[in-house]
Amino acid sequence: MYLSMSVKIPVGHIHPLSQMIAEINQIFATIGFEFAEGPERELIKFNFDLLNVPKDHPSRDMQDTFYLTDNPESVMRTHTSPVQVRYMQSHQPPIKMICPGKVFRNEATDATHEAQFFQLEGLWIDTDVSLGHMKGVLEYFFSEFFGGEVQVRFRPSFFPFVEPGVEVDMMIARNDTNKLSGKWIEIMGGGMVHPSVIEGAGLDASKYQGFAFGMGVDRLAVLKYGIDDIRLMYNGDLRFVTQF
Amino acid sequence: MKISHNWLQTFFDTPLPSASELEELLTFHSSEIEEKVIVGNDTVLDVKVLPDKSAWLLSHRGVAKEISVITGLPLKADAFLLTPDLSLQTDKITINLETPNCDYYGAALVTGVTVGPSPDWLKQRLVAIGQRSINNIVDATNYIMFELGQPLHAFDADKLDVTDGTYSIAVRQASEGEKITTLTGEDYALSTGNMLITDGISSGPLAIAGIKGGMTALVDVNTKNIILESAHFDRFNIRKTSKQIKLRTDASARYENGIPAGMAPLALTAAVKLITDIATGALVGYAAAGTIDYSRLPVSVTLSKINSTLGVALVIADIESIIKKFGYLYKITGETITVTPPWERDDLVLAADLIEEIGRIYGMNNISSVPPPRAAVSAFNVRHFYAEKIRTALVDLGFSEIYTSSFRASDVVHIQNALASDKSYLRSSLHANMREALVKNTAHRDLLGLSAIKLFEIGTTFAPDFEAFKVALGVQSGSTFKAKVDDPLLKEAQAALESVLGQPIVWEGTESGVTEFVLDTVLPALPGVTTYLSVPKTAAISYQPFSLYPSMTRDVALWVPVEVTAESVDALLKKNAGSLCVRTTLFDTFIKEDKTSLAFHLVFQSKQKTLTASEVDAEMTAVHNACRESGWEVR
Repeated sequence: MYLSMSVKIPVGHIHPLSQMIAEINQIFATIGFEFAEGPERELIKFNFDLLNVPKDHPSRDMQDTFYLTDNPESVMRTHTSPVQVRYMQSHQPPIKMICPGKVFRNEATDATHEAQFFQLEGLWIDTDVSLGHMKGVLEYFFSEFFGGEVQVRFRPSFFPFVEPGVEVDMMIARNDTNKLSGKWIEIMGGGMVHPSVIEGAGLDASKYQGFAFGMGVDRLAVLKYGIDDIRLMYNGDLRFVTQF
Repeated sequence: MKISHNWLQTFFDTPLPSASELEELLTFHSSEIEEKVIVGNDTVLDVKVLPDKSAWLLSHRGVAKEISVITGLPLKADAFLLTPDLSLQTDKITINLETPNCDYYGAALVTGVTVGPSPDWLKQRLVAIGQRSINNIVDATNYIMFELGQPLHAFDADKLDVTDGTYSIAVRQASEGEKITTLTGEDYALSTGNMLITDGISSGPLAIAGIKGGMTALVDVNTKNIILESAHFDRFNIRKTSKQIKLRTDASARYENGIPAGMAPLALTAAVKLITDIATGALVGYAAAGTIDYSRLPVSVTLSKINSTLGVALVIADIESIIKKFGYLYKITGETITVTPPWERDDLVLAADLIEEIGRIYGMNNISSVPPPRAAVSAFNVRHFYAEKIRTALVDLGFSEIYTSSFRASDVVHIQNALASDKSYLRSSLHANMREALVKNTAHRDLLGLSAIKLFEIGTTFAPDFEAFKVALGVQSGSTFKAKVDDPLLKEAQAALESVLGQPIVWEGTESGVTEFVLDTVLPALPGVTTYLSVPKTAAISYQPFSLYPSMTRDVALWVPVEVTAESVDALLKKNAGSLCVRTTLFDTFIKEDKTSLAFHLVFQSKQKTLTASEVDAEMTAVHNACRESGWEVR
């Protein structure tokens, strides 16, 4: 019998979002960050109020948030930050957690925007956690995730749930095989958790402090795999999935 | 906000750093720069002012102050340190505040103005930042707004009613349905939540408060006498009205961000000075109603809190030098720093607010990283662990994972403000999306080289009062004998999952090759997790955009001698089928005596167009010829 090329069933493919989330979890697990989850349809209390998003904040506007006809208390979560609040309510510091998950924004879709996408947020709360720790954690994560030495830098920014808030850029050490390397790339936001968020979650803000960060998993996919249209990740097309 | 380098320079005696250097300084100490454009002999920076700084940074003075703090260059004269002189009062204007949404209203009566073009320097300033020059009066009010951050408005006094030589301004809420025509001619019908500036005698509307002036008292070439307005309005009320009537202006953007009331009299005196300079005229006097709260509460922070929050090692002298650049009142006792913010900064309330100010001037970029210690997690995400096991088991059986939309055209839970009518509901199951994905992908079966489309999705579904985390399986072979072909494939996967989980599974709605189950309900019965499955480092995959044009499939069946391998046949097919052949798939083979029968699908597709049958036929002829030349029988 000379037939080595058999009529066989090819193995399937795990969606890149799942591959990335598993890899993200694996990296953070090595530094003690637990993987937490929460509801996608979230109480306004957790999505906005306890995150120091003022009642008049633009992000509450109808054009940004999906509201539900028969459920005035809830919204489709606009970030995974409510998972952080729930986690702080049910755990005592030291707290180290990540919360990847699906989030929703009421905005027109195009190649770089989806009304539903995946976010990765992280939180570390203890008595002496600083922005220096955040820098260290992010450099570790990006280095593992993108491969190679990754540097991180901060710029001042603003998010209601942190103070100080920063915009985070990363740079992968120059490497001829990596198009992304050798330049600063705007990647995510973060900062020191606002004292009112810590208090709101039932912890003593005079004793505990720490950082929170958040980024789009879709954005990570665009950078890691060179995906040119993030809508491909949510349309169930195997011509996309089977490339991974 | 667009900021002119030349304009900024007017705040300093010493030459400023170049626009590029300022861009760098602002980016790392204050705000992102969205764009830098050269306009004539000027350079304009578009500063992205975020909400926490919008009360005091939406002006050239605001940006000049930031630059002064960042660089240490002193402002030559800071308008905000002056006490506005409104001592020349007039009784020719009475002001009535009839709504709590206006807490201060300052006005000035200037008579004998000559309306005309603005001087060149003023035109240039405005044009550089993208504003149109209208006339000297309007330009002056705009200039002061972009200079100091305070919106102003000028009314033609002679278009107001007069009683005993006195004008009257009343600030009140609109009545339901009350109409106003703006100075650019648009009509708005208002409601009681909206605020108006009105003629206190006629009661007619003069302006939509804090947003836009009306047509009634428009300043035009014949205007001789003007009433200048510089007021403070409730930020929430302005924001609500602006959103409601869908009219956002440079003025409303500033009010809704909570500019400090103390700017109003300062800007009023500055505008009077400018107008009397460039449009002649004389100030008759000021009138004002309401009060301004200039007081600010002290904020304290300790050195150790600053250092432990930022992750830096500053000493008291470092902090003191930064605070001095701000010009704040401060006191240092031991390692406690107490700052009393100036009246224009009502956002400095908590220690954290001060830490941010100190941190950004010191430089967030100067923070050193602290590498995280290796540590084990003390709890595992059971759902993630088992979802991963399920993924692995299904992939081994040839199933591929998809993610689909959480929205459906029709289901149970309705979204109040959906993006589109086909996205008005949350999905209550994974069924419907799965079925659609099967149909869509079946069209690409040959292109994908698959005999059957086998999919799974793991995701959240929504009932009115709970969410369920589900796993769905879908199979579609395209065969007309579904029960015979699809069902066994589905059953095989179902059995595999029950075996992986070691639990019976309650499958829902198994029909036509689709089934699903709720993972959450199975989890409690499963063994605890003590370690995650190891994830292989994802290979360096580079995604390739795929053709959106349809593919065309042709089959070729051959008799070849038994010693000829399928691989060598495949290679010959690939070599002769041309570049449009994107896939060859061996789909059938058997041996009869000394011959092997091999059957291949050849899939053709272009990245540029839809292929015609004759184009593909030509490629197939070449394939057939090559096979015959090799001595193989084309069946």
